[in-house]
Amino acid sequence: MADLHQVPGASADQLTRRAPAPDPSAGPRRGTGRGGMHGVLGHRSPVRPWLLLAPALAVLAVLLLWPLVRVVMISLQDYGLRQIASGESNYIGFDNYAAILGDSFLWTVVLPNTIGFAVACVVLTVVLGTAVALFLNNLGTFWRTVCSTAIMVAWAVPAITGTYVWIWIFDPLNGLVSSVLDSVGLIDPATTNWFTERLSFYAIATLNVVHHGFPFVAITVLAGLLTIPKELHEAAMMDGATPWRRFWTITAPILRPVFAVVTILSTIWDFKVFTQIYLMPGGNGGNKEVFNLGVWSYIQSFAQGKYGMGSAIAVLLTLILLGITVVYMRTLFKEEEL
Amino acid sequence: MQRRSTVAVTGTLLLALGLTACGGGDGSGEATGDAASADHTGETLTVWIMEGTNPDGDAFFDEVTAAFKEETGADLQIELQPWASAHDKFTTSIAGNTTPDVAELGTTWTGEFADVGALTDLTDRIKEAGLEEDLVPGLVESATLDGAQYGMPWYAGVRSIVYRKDLFEAAGIEVPTTWAELQTAAETLKAANPGLVPFPVAGDSQYGAMPFVWGAGGDLASKDGDVWTSEISSPESVKGLEFYTGLATEAGLSTAAATTWKETDLLSNFEQGNVGMMISGSWTPGKIVADVPDMADKIGAFPIPGETEGLSDSFLGGSHLGVFAASEKQDLAWEFVEMMTTGTFAQEWGNQSGYFPGQTSLLEKVIEEDDPLVAPFAQQMVEAGASVPVTPLYGQIQGKKTLETMLQSILSGSATVQEAADTAAADMNETFGS
Amino acid sequence: MSALTGTPSSSPPAAERTPGVAVGAGSAPGAPGAPRGPQVLRVKARKRPLPTAGKVVGIVALLAFALFPAYWMFSSAIDPEAATRGARIVPAGVTWDNFVTVIEDGGFGQYLRNSIVVAIGAVVLSSVLALLAAVAVSRFRFRFRRAILVLVLMVQMVPLEALVIPLFLQMRTLGMLNSLLGLTIVYIAFSLSFAIWMLRGFVAAVPVELEEAAYLDGASWGRMFWKILLPLVAPGVVATSVFSFITAWNEFIFALTFLQQSAKYTVPIGLQKFFGENTTDWGAVMAASTLITLPVIVFFVLVQRNLASGLTAGSVKG
Repeated sequence: MADLHQVPGASADQLTRRAPAPDPSAGPRRGTGRGGMHGVLGHRSPVRPWLLLAPALAVLAVLLLWPLVRVVMISLQDYGLRQIASGESNYIGFDNYAAILGDSFLWTVVLPNTIGFAVACVVLTVVLGTAVALFLNNLGTFWRTVCSTAIMVAWAVPAITGTYVWIWIFDPLNGLVSSVLDSVGLIDPATTNWFTERLSFYAIATLNVVHHGFPFVAITVLAGLLTIPKELHEAAMMDGATPWRRFWTITAPILRPVFAVVTILSTIWDFKVFTQIYLMPGGNGGNKEVFNLGVWSYIQSFAQGKYGMGSAIAVLLTLILLGITVVYMRTLFKEEEL
Repeated sequence: MQRRSTVAVTGTLLLALGLTACGGGDGSGEATGDAASADHTGETLTVWIMEGTNPDGDAFFDEVTAAFKEETGADLQIELQPWASAHDKFTTSIAGNTTPDVAELGTTWTGEFADVGALTDLTDRIKEAGLEEDLVPGLVESATLDGAQYGMPWYAGVRSIVYRKDLFEAAGIEVPTTWAELQTAAETLKAANPGLVPFPVAGDSQYGAMPFVWGAGGDLASKDGDVWTSEISSPESVKGLEFYTGLATEAGLSTAAATTWKETDLLSNFEQGNVGMMISGSWTPGKIVADVPDMADKIGAFPIPGETEGLSDSFLGGSHLGVFAASEKQDLAWEFVEMMTTGTFAQEWGNQSGYFPGQTSLLEKVIEEDDPLVAPFAQQMVEAGASVPVTPLYGQIQGKKTLETMLQSILSGSATVQEAADTAAADMNETFGS
Repeated sequence: MSALTGTPSSSPPAAERTPGVAVGAGSAPGAPGAPRGPQVLRVKARKRPLPTAGKVVGIVALLAFALFPAYWMFSSAIDPEAATRGARIVPAGVTWDNFVTVIEDGGFGQYLRNSIVVAIGAVVLSSVLALLAAVAVSRFRFRFRRAILVLVLMVQMVPLEALVIPLFLQMRTLGMLNSLLGLTIVYIAFSLSFAIWMLRGFVAAVPVELEEAAYLDGASWGRMFWKILLPLVAPGVVATSVFSFITAWNEFIFALTFLQQSAKYTVPIGLQKFFGENTTDWGAVMAASTLITLPVIVFFVLVQRNLASGLTAGSVKG
């Protein structure tokens, strides 16, 4: 019998072999019929999975199912404070959706900003997180622990605070970056305001979001890296493979599922970014050029007390993300993995 | 047997309490109803107050609670709410019927909540208490919807110009009384202090632009019957906007960073010593002195000059106290409202928070004191305080940031004043028309 | 399938994982596509470590990048002139007044207590529920399995602002308003989504042979779960608990609208208190932020030992 204390995966401070783990999806498929995994042993009943799921599904259903239905219902209404106060309905069919989808501003500014920003954030977060993980993988235990804790701090600082700190650092008149660039003679603080230009605005926002998001990727990928047996790399090195090639032929394929989960979640989160944009100068609605979906949906609806419109945008956003997730699942996960 | 004796005991207790209370005869509340006081024992009034207005808020409300208990026998439950999401909190409480009895409402919210029937009409109570003539008009205006008043003016703030007195004296500048003088003063300041931003034009401050729109004879919107129409693109309004933004775009008296400045950024930069004059509220001198004690004798204030004479109107903001219609303690609620908004407590609140009381007689006392950092604001408030259009539709326009968008597009150079004003007017009319 | 040949695989070949095989053996006999075995046996070269100078530069750069905003936050909190800091790298002085203000006037002591209660409650309960659900989803095959997985993730997709009023009404119907317990349950619902996805992988990583062996020994399913499965996925549970903690710890809008009494407020609400309508007390904001950040770091450090191994197991196995 296998040593039960051999925990799947490696702990951060030692490189151990993993417990025997055949392709996990092979396991379930060996069973016969639905839910009957090891039918020969007769310990699995078709009901069991549902029993196990019951508590979680119950919480989700009771708490969120009805509210989600309500969101859809509200999205079909012209729902403002008046309706909230009186409780009356005010159905207008799909007018909200028509207004949203028919707004050219959405297609020319908001969506491009959102998609461009999300792509940049996801790519940079994953690349930076992976690079950091690779680096940490090469450190000794002490420094690895120190550095892991340090990047956790980056994650632990509340998003609001972090955003304000970055805003101060990049203050065009008084900020650190501004005074450094000024002393080198690159800019004149009196005439510079990088928050009014779309590209520079989003560059700063990307820095903020990536800084807050890379720790998640780094720690996850690091954990994955520690499971790759060193022998694979050593053997490849014997063959004269460069680190770059070794990464792509050994590391990346093993960590594909890691990247997949991390990417899906990052995409969902980065699509919905609101606070980090809203708090930036000009990002709270004054500068139309820098709207993203989160800010636009807020300004179009809730800031004006139009809850019907806001719900419709929420529904559309959820559908988009649902679509993206399904696409991700098809391409990044193989059939049997899920 | 047992039950009857319990009833007897309870009844006696209540009677005893009632007699004691009635016979108590405390000093306050002599003008108002006799039996109205002291028969609310055992009740608790829930009150929502906004966080942060009064730095000594806790001690103040302890006093209020004690006085209220003495006067009415009822307890107070005061919940402090953060401004940032108070509106959301109100909305959900209206949705879920968990509104408090009394709440502090920003002046732009009172009309909105009254419109949906969430607030009690206080007009008659105000008349009965004889307060009708003694309330600051600007605050009354923002609390009135269709001739009925739904909020009791509590405190107000107004924006005037806060300036660096020491720099003015050093450069030999007099306090400006016209727009032309204002511009000259700024230019002189700049010549004497090259690194200074003499008059920043904050792009994210809607209230900073309004004095110039109003001062030129323009307006934000006008009402014809039941329909509102935007006036922001009228020739007068545009003239005012051209002057205001021209200080930045043509005279170079502002700075690029100010295009996206909110009022908090203006204040912050003033405190850092980068700014010569700023359009700022009556609450700021106190904050400046608290944050940077060195500046105490370097700052002054003056009301916003008119174009050629007098003063330009400035937005009168502040808070009302409103009673929610769903409350079952309407009488008790009104007693609390009256206690807070008139007399000693109103005055104390004004002193501690740095805002002005909503009662004109108290306001006049403040003016008499002639504090150089307070009197100019008081003058602005009494002589030249104005309100934005009192309609929930204007709340939507503010939510959409129409004015800020207009200002920022002008300041960043992506539109001329007329173009930006036309876009803003179209935007506003779209909301008004809905 | 051998990783050496670059063929995509969901997990390294089984043979690599056999314990007890000598490290020098490289790929175990029988593993396909592993012709390098004998060569590796002969040469046991250690992977050449990065040059020290490079490592030092890397460490410094990483620490500086990761910690700079936090440094700015903390140094502003202790700066007596926080409002006028500008570009000053070092604080103008050291004062603890802001922290005193935040704890005494701001009531942060109470808020921290409330937040800890809610966060721990949410973490413990969501871990339990998510684990059970993850076992169901990864160990069993049943209809709607994939659909349920995707639907569970949907919770993460809906913008919160849209949910505020409907969820508020739902909570009122259930009588869970104005209670920390009610809030805890809401946070459980929100973190279940992510937790189930992550734990799915961890559970899948536990080899089925172990379970089979337990059954052969006569254990019931329940006993198997307790004695075998749970200890092996413990690190994974610990890992996902970190994310649940952060979810519960930093959530603002629901906490504000559901809690009616300020004595029950949580720390994010407390932070908002210092943002006035027209003015902001930056020193207090930064001090409050520091107090919000610290417990999270403590939680991280406590679970860090198990964190990496937990995440490994889950993610790599997909």
